[in-house]
Amino acid sequence: MCETCGCDNHNHDHAHSHEKVINLNIDILSQNNITAGMNRRFFEGRKVLCMNMVSSPGSGKTTVLERTIGHFIPFRKLYVIEGDQQTLIDADRIEKAGASAIQINTGSGCHLDAQMVESALKKLDPQTDSILFIENVGNLICPAMFDLGEYKRVLVISVTEGEDKPLKYPNMFETSHLVIINKSDLLPHVDFRAEEFMKNARQVNHHLEFIELSAKTGEGMNAWYDWLLSQKNI
Amino acid sequence: MHEFSLAGEVIKLARHEAEKHKSMAVSEITIEVGNFSGVEAEAFESVLGLLSEGSILEKARLNILRLKGKGICAACNKEFEMDQRMDTCPECQSYPSEIKGGNEFRVVSLLIEEE
Repeated sequence: MCETCGCDNHNHDHAHSHEKVINLNIDILSQNNITAGMNRRFFEGRKVLCMNMVSSPGSGKTTVLERTIGHFIPFRKLYVIEGDQQTLIDADRIEKAGASAIQINTGSGCHLDAQMVESALKKLDPQTDSILFIENVGNLICPAMFDLGEYKRVLVISVTEGEDKPLKYPNMFETSHLVIINKSDLLPHVDFRAEEFMKNARQVNHHLEFIELSAKTGEGMNAWYDWLLSQKNI
Repeated sequence: MHEFSLAGEVIKLARHEAEKHKSMAVSEITIEVGNFSGVEAEAFESVLGLLSEGSILEKARLNILRLKGKGICAACNKEFEMDQRMDTCPECQSYPSEIKGGNEFRVVSLLIEEE
């Protein structure tokens, strides 16, 4: 029995006279999405091409970025926002490669959010016509949920991961635009079939594009560079 | 994993709305969690319960509504309910060509105590 009005119907949806219903229908991630929208407008205004690089830990994101920086540095200013739980290791590698880096240590946090990117942008103050990579925390689950304001999301997987990865982690594949299949130099040693992997990935997201490469040997990297250059009039 | 920060966002939202209406307490909060929103509903509910202590949601009933998605089969066009993102058509086991809903994560309403 309701303690206040004595009624027995606990499914009634009228409020008691001292209570009021407020209808909200507010997306809980709206604050993140608003900030992401602001980041996106900032990038558009400054003509900064921003890529959100996501993956499992160890797929080779940083190595891909090191090579990419080496290629573009003669004619383009590059920036990287690094996300890791701890250490400055990746930011150091990026700076040695020739780009400006900011490291965000998330501690127990499992993803970067739009607010962290916004703060980093204030420090980096990227130039017009530059390219900015966000190297997200190595995690195929949580970063999928958080829009950072990027132009596109690039998922790096390695041939040492399974062909069924897209089916097991659909959220990440659904929200990405390009999949880089890295470590192609290891193909003779693993049971990975790229066709099967891509078939699974297309089941989850039929808009996905794919590039196979080896950041270690440099094979296939030109396709990635061409893809970047084709993204916008940069 | 990040259910803590999400619960924190909900408490902030509830406090903001309650204060707008000059209320000091929320007696019920209704939240929709889609099955493939990326939010684990059970974990989220426990964490929200824990974090609510000492907050505006301290006395609130947590009404978490889990929502399924609706898929349209790529092969036979049948509409079917989806519990998981990679569910297949119950008739022909094909994947859906289109998915509607299932990724909601929103505060639907609050029941606030008025002065």
